[in-house]
Amino acid sequence: MSAAPETKGVRGELPGAGEAAVPFVEIEALRSREFIPAAKEALTSLIAEQGQSKLIRPVFNWAGRNSLFPLHWGLACCAIEFAAAFGARWDAERFGVVPRSSPRQCDLMIVNGTVTWKVAHKLITLYEQMPEPKWVIAMGNCATGGGPFRTAYSVVPGVDKLVPVDVYIAGCPPRPEAMLEGILRLEDLIRLRKE
Amino acid sequence: MSEMWINMGPQHPMTHGLWNLRVQIDGELILDVDPEMGYLHRGIEKISEDRHYNEVVTLMDRTCYVAGMAWEHLYILGAEQALHLQPPERAEYIRTMSEEFQRIASHIMWYAAFVQDLGLMSPFLYGMRDRDLLLDLFQSYTGARMTYEYMRVGGVRNDLPHGFTDRARKVLDWLIERFQEYDQLCMGSDIFRRRCDGLGVLSARDCIDYGVTGPMLRSAGVARDLRKDRPYSAYDRVDFDVARATTADVTGRYLVRMEEMRQSVRILRQVLDWLDHHPGPVMAENLPRWLGAPYAPIGREGYLLKREYPKGVGFAAIEEPHGEAAVYVVNQGGEHPYRVKFRSPVYVNLSAARKYLVGYHVADIPPIMGSVDVCVGESDR
Amino acid sequence: MTALPAPPVPWPELLGEALVALEPMEGTSGRIRFRSADAERVFRAVHDAGFHHLTMIGGIDWVDHREVIYTLWSDAGKTYLFLSTDLPADHPTVATATRVWPSANWHEREAWEMVDIQFEGHPDLRHLLMPDGYEFHPLLRSFKLHEPEDLEVKVRHV
Repeated sequence: MSAAPETKGVRGELPGAGEAAVPFVEIEALRSREFIPAAKEALTSLIAEQGQSKLIRPVFNWAGRNSLFPLHWGLACCAIEFAAAFGARWDAERFGVVPRSSPRQCDLMIVNGTVTWKVAHKLITLYEQMPEPKWVIAMGNCATGGGPFRTAYSVVPGVDKLVPVDVYIAGCPPRPEAMLEGILRLEDLIRLRKE
Repeated sequence: MSEMWINMGPQHPMTHGLWNLRVQIDGELILDVDPEMGYLHRGIEKISEDRHYNEVVTLMDRTCYVAGMAWEHLYILGAEQALHLQPPERAEYIRTMSEEFQRIASHIMWYAAFVQDLGLMSPFLYGMRDRDLLLDLFQSYTGARMTYEYMRVGGVRNDLPHGFTDRARKVLDWLIERFQEYDQLCMGSDIFRRRCDGLGVLSARDCIDYGVTGPMLRSAGVARDLRKDRPYSAYDRVDFDVARATTADVTGRYLVRMEEMRQSVRILRQVLDWLDHHPGPVMAENLPRWLGAPYAPIGREGYLLKREYPKGVGFAAIEEPHGEAAVYVVNQGGEHPYRVKFRSPVYVNLSAARKYLVGYHVADIPPIMGSVDVCVGESDR
Repeated sequence: MTALPAPPVPWPELLGEALVALEPMEGTSGRIRFRSADAERVFRAVHDAGFHHLTMIGGIDWVDHREVIYTLWSDAGKTYLFLSTDLPADHPTVATATRVWPSANWHEREAWEMVDIQFEGHPDLRHLLMPDGYEFHPLLRSFKLHEPEDLEVKVRHV
């Protein structure tokens, strides 16, 4: 149990909740049958105590980071490694990451490949169709800064010229492990989110 | 009558990449189609004019990301002809082996994606599992899973590691059993047959008129395979049959690809046996200094050492997993190629989309386009 | 790289004065240089000689002139053949091959887009790989690649 103090900041305490920390870890620990009534009770009492905004954020962040739905599209080479991450060996779905085909069901856009100027405005449209809050991962060197094609006439040198990027993953293409690491880093970011 | 144009793409699960299929429909019936390409046009031909002969190999892996070795092989054959170089025999066998492994990996990737489009999830998991075994083999001698940068003008970068052929044989033994499993999953499934039989028919005559090659052409009964018709590397020294079907539909293309994988295993067994008994160099000797990538990194001074080098034109064509790929390299005596022109099989197969889509229904588009095996990186280049 | 022996085709008789030169090329049936004015007739004759499959059409910018190269494959002879014609840089126009080989459609669209070669009689000569309205021809030698640091330059290009 000596590891408990270190992990507290990561799993137990909610940085967004201020000094009156919401006893959120208990909600997380509850299981199945007990969960819904207990959560209901905790939520009602907490709303009465602290007001709505302070409470919704941690619950929302917890739910959001454990079920990131990336947009199912493949731009280039990294898309194959993206697909491999959902295959038998890596099984990205154990992190709650399930690709969805419609941008309206997604909260994460993984830009997995070279972005050209021709696809740029379609990428922005897809990004705008995603509901808030939303995140972007630039996967691979092409999405980060153009990669080997950065001098080409048709290539956007980095997708951050078009949409705000939260996590960059290096590699050409990154291995599936690297992609999963990027998603876990994004979960850390969401955990720290305040507004 | 209510006709309208709809866009399937660029972001659509059917596309397997970035392209847009504009479809004119009346109800469920397809009246006309117009593929819209270029969403992944990365100017590879232009960048190649700015790079060393060996540096272009980097781009080749990314041109077709499911068949990187095949495209490296294609470009290297063209560049060697343009530079008047000859690789050692062992390098030729290693290239043949790499291309055949890549063919299996590419076909398995196609199988995983295609059958998933039809709504069957387990083939995707099976396919990715078996493909990872092949990628592990690639990784053991190139260091990378997908983008290898392995072949060089005049040979290959390094020899195979110790014990590679035994590991490879084990993988082949595993795969040949799995192919049977794949077949049972698909050909044994009534749903699969009903969704695929008689769809996307493209006759042999139309295939030739519209330049369609690869499994699509062979599924129409034409046994054109450049490995047989115009053997390159070690293909004239191995024994195999050209896979063929006669139905010219989606099921036919499936059967051709499955048979091709079995033939690839057959080729690989012969090549691995040869490699066991014939050690030797894997790079040609007396390479010009600025091509000597395995011996020393290319320094900036190398550019100044303008060696006299004969001009030339190189042409190579290989049977890539998707079809006939060709390259035309113009060497004007510099360290960069003057012009590199690629022929992508997917590009041409897609240009005939009107011939095999019109008249079918909207729900038939995923199986038909899946059977074409689209790789947008190579079609847009 | 050994092509199987192909039945010799009497090109000079077939093409007449449209034939400019017949050059050998390693591993193939060689390259036929023809006069661009007789393109249509040359295509027809070559197609009838068994070269039913068009592999690719590529344009090369030689600065002072441009060259179009047609790569063809014969199933009977199991061999490749190249056709090439030189076009003046100020008026690079050649007849379309789509009437002979329907697969030439996209190849010609690409050659027009990349190397600015006009194909007379092409049914649908519009942009394929670059967005509509793109006014440059990237594979011309005068088109230089640049580092992307200056993004404004890139934006103006598209």
